[in-house]
Amino acid sequence: MSEGATGSREPPQPGLLDPTDLARLASLELRARTIVEGAFSGIHRNLHPGTSVEFTEHREYAPGDEIRRIDWKAVGRADRYYVKRFEDETEMHTFLVLDASASMGYRRRGISKLDYAGYLASALAYLVGQQGDATGLLLFDEKVRSFLPPSTRPGQIREVFRLLETAQPAGRTDAALALGHLGELTDKRSLIILMSDLLDSEPDEPGGEARGALPARLRQLRARGHDVALFHLLDPDEVELPFDDLIFFEGMEPGDARTLLAQAPDLAQAFQRESQAFRDRWRAACLEASVEYRFARTDAPPAEVLRAFLADRQRAVRH
Amino acid sequence: MHFLAPSLLLGLLAAILPWLIHLIGKRRAQPMRFAAMQLLLRSERRISARRRLREILLLVARTGVAAALPLIFARPFAERTTDLPVASLDPQSAVIVLDDSASMSRTAGLSSMFERARDRARALVRQFPSDVDLALLLASAGSSPKISELSPERTRVLEAFENIVCSARPADFASALRSASLILAGSVHSKRRIYLFTDLQAAGWEAGTGLPAEGAPEVIIDDVSGAAPWENRAVLDVDVLPAPEAGAGGIAVDAELADFSVAGTRSLGVGLKVDGVAVAKGFVDLAPGERGHKRFLHRLSGEAGGAHDVEVEIDRDAFRLDDHRLAHVELARSMSVLIVNGDPRTARNEDEPFFFATALRNGLPGAAVTIKLADDVSPESLKGTTLVALLNLAQPSPAMASALARFVSAGGGLFISVGDRVDATVWNERMAKLLPQPLGLPRTASALPGQHAGEIVDDRPAERLAPIDRSHPLLASFPEHGEGLVSARFFKYMLLDPAPESPERSVILRYENGAPALVEKQVGKGRVMLLSTTVDREWTDLPIRTGFLPLVREAARRLVGVTGDEETASLRAGEARILAFTGDEQRLEVSRPDGSVWVARREQASAARSVLYSETDRLGTYHVRAVGPDGTVVARPEQDFVVNLDTRESNPARLDPALRPDRIAVASPGAKPPKHRVELWHSLAAVMIGLLLCESVLTLRRRRV
Repeated sequence: MSEGATGSREPPQPGLLDPTDLARLASLELRARTIVEGAFSGIHRNLHPGTSVEFTEHREYAPGDEIRRIDWKAVGRADRYYVKRFEDETEMHTFLVLDASASMGYRRRGISKLDYAGYLASALAYLVGQQGDATGLLLFDEKVRSFLPPSTRPGQIREVFRLLETAQPAGRTDAALALGHLGELTDKRSLIILMSDLLDSEPDEPGGEARGALPARLRQLRARGHDVALFHLLDPDEVELPFDDLIFFEGMEPGDARTLLAQAPDLAQAFQRESQAFRDRWRAACLEASVEYRFARTDAPPAEVLRAFLADRQRAVRH
Repeated sequence: MHFLAPSLLLGLLAAILPWLIHLIGKRRAQPMRFAAMQLLLRSERRISARRRLREILLLVARTGVAAALPLIFARPFAERTTDLPVASLDPQSAVIVLDDSASMSRTAGLSSMFERARDRARALVRQFPSDVDLALLLASAGSSPKISELSPERTRVLEAFENIVCSARPADFASALRSASLILAGSVHSKRRIYLFTDLQAAGWEAGTGLPAEGAPEVIIDDVSGAAPWENRAVLDVDVLPAPEAGAGGIAVDAELADFSVAGTRSLGVGLKVDGVAVAKGFVDLAPGERGHKRFLHRLSGEAGGAHDVEVEIDRDAFRLDDHRLAHVELARSMSVLIVNGDPRTARNEDEPFFFATALRNGLPGAAVTIKLADDVSPESLKGTTLVALLNLAQPSPAMASALARFVSAGGGLFISVGDRVDATVWNERMAKLLPQPLGLPRTASALPGQHAGEIVDDRPAERLAPIDRSHPLLASFPEHGEGLVSARFFKYMLLDPAPESPERSVILRYENGAPALVEKQVGKGRVMLLSTTVDREWTDLPIRTGFLPLVREAARRLVGVTGDEETASLRAGEARILAFTGDEQRLEVSRPDGSVWVARREQASAARSVLYSETDRLGTYHVRAVGPDGTVVARPEQDFVVNLDTRESNPARLDPALRPDRIAVASPGAKPPKHRVELWHSLAAVMIGLLLCESVLTLRRRRV
């Protein structure tokens, strides 16, 4: 699995609209089309390249695999349980899993992380729909807020757009719960794309690794054959802390009583190091779980993020 | 601590301003809802200790600055007791006179008298109120003033102290106090004072105080010696004389020693060093206040010539400058002198070569002197000869005249003295090329000369020599007034016919009537000297005068171009030396004992082609060298000289209190020690600047974080 990052430090490529410009467009559908057209010029637009019904490989059995898929001949030969992998006879399912907790609503300039996730998700849904594949959507905070099962029916994409447009940031975060729920709902090999700021998703230990429920859940999904990608979205303020004054910081999510009074310039350098370490920990955790990790700042053009994502996927298939 | 303007201390309330600003600043913090609180709190934990420390330091620095300002304006001061003159606390004009004479270099404890005096003078300058006008002078003879005009710039005076070092010159308080009085005459202050820092040695006050009879400034003496007794032993003089009894190159070194102590000195070690190597050592006992002598015989090496430093030193005491004394000796190259006796007599003391040869043998012990009659001399006789003296020779033969011309042109020296036998016509004809001036008629003096004190009156009419010109190298080593020469009487002498002016010819000595007495001429590489009288007592009493020996010796050295076994000129520290340019020399360089080099250019020379060198403030040997027009450097050993201590500085006798120029203040018993005010605002200002710098650095670091 590949990993990557897209930030706003470099000027966007010509023709790619930045998030603020995209927000001026009338509807999410229009934004999705704009993003896709901007991102896919010159790139093959198949999100699931190489689909077929032929047997491709064996892999070791993992809890949750269907018993009927076990290759008993291989078991006899190797004394281990192997599952036959076939290219699917039907369309590929894509799950768009969006964190809609209160922290995703942080915005000082530009758009919020939830809006940014909506732009990316809508573009991906539009693209998948264009390929005739099924798209599903799951919005969560500390519980599953909305779930739209994957489907290729007409109107599915429009429904996805509607849910995304009406989503409001609220509540605390529990991404592990949402992914666990998703694992229960699907037994079909799927592409699961999680978009979150991942804040408060790891134990509060300075210098600690990204361990806990969410990485374990990601590893579980991968073990069950799902293709998982994680879009780690952060506001530029959460990367740089570019404030000049004495500030009284307060937590955003309900029940978060944490506060801090500090001269922001005093903290900036340490904060930047901490933010970098935070991303590095998640990058390492994803690598360990064979999950594709993509970091994106909310001031980066979504089309650029999408283009990098697709280009990496195509490259991975070719190799 | 006291304050000149205590009411301004109310401004200290400003010190709470930084605290108020800090508290108000906390209240006006912007609230912000922030998602990444976890990262923020981790960052805060990381830097909180450092940040808090910096905030506290910043607060302290700002509080310090706010408090320092009113403190500075309140003019704080402290009062300290002082042993420096209390008179310094008044508004006044003051001249600091620092005794930098040789005796001040003696040590007392860990520091020298001079260092003590300089430190106290410096402390006094700091103690003066800021509106005092100051000047700074030195008390050693011939020293230049350090700050010769009154100025309120205390820093300048303090800086001037940094460059002052103790000299080896004697003190001259009369001159220093006179200069100080003149400086103070233009003062705008009613109080005018001279502060003299000295050890109160009697030496240096011989010429009085130098103060004007009326309206003299007040003199305040700071006796840095504390009137502590000073016991000293000194080498007063070193005399180096030829000592043929010691063999070739033998010298006798006679050292005069003195004891200036109450108990006298037993077994005082006296050593002789030649060229820095100890060659002899002895011991002497000296009674209190006694002067004694120690004589050393030594044979100098290097018969082919060379310079030697002879030094006598005694066991060291607190005053080291007079524990050794130097002499510089030139060992002559072998000099071979042929004296041609033109008027042989049976009585030895009537014979001219007797006086001339005796002077030569005593003046130049290494010289080989041969005396021949005129008939015995042939041109071959000149082989191996460096100097030929023709004394009262009737007439040189044509062959001899030719041989002499070749001899002189090749670098030989020729000395000619006249007498009754000389045939001027033949001489002028055959020796025209060699004679500095043509010979004329003999002349007999017609009047009695002036009488010198203590002189036995001779009833014969006579001439005397005119005052000598010491700028001529031949006469440079004679005393200033030519003692030993100018007392000589000349009953008869030969007039010399006029000769055209020429750079090769010069008159060295003249009679009082202007007639030439001793004339020289450069011929080729050699030189000819003509004395227009006899070298016996027939025409003059010069041969029995004390100046005859040095005159013959110097003449021989000059004619041959070498120096003799003889002590080089010895000066006392502070005395000047005349240095002469010869030939086409463009530059004279003097290497001082401290390694520095003094340079005189031809353009600076007087009409007599000489310059005055007066920077004799260091003891030791001064070497002279000349630089020609093509840049070639030639040593001039005949102009080398040594500088020794003025022995008055060795005498620890203190100045008679009756002669002191100050009014000695007597402190009343039980009186409180005087206090002086030390202003503290400078220090506070420095602290404030430091705090401001700290504040700037801390603020800058915060911006960078």
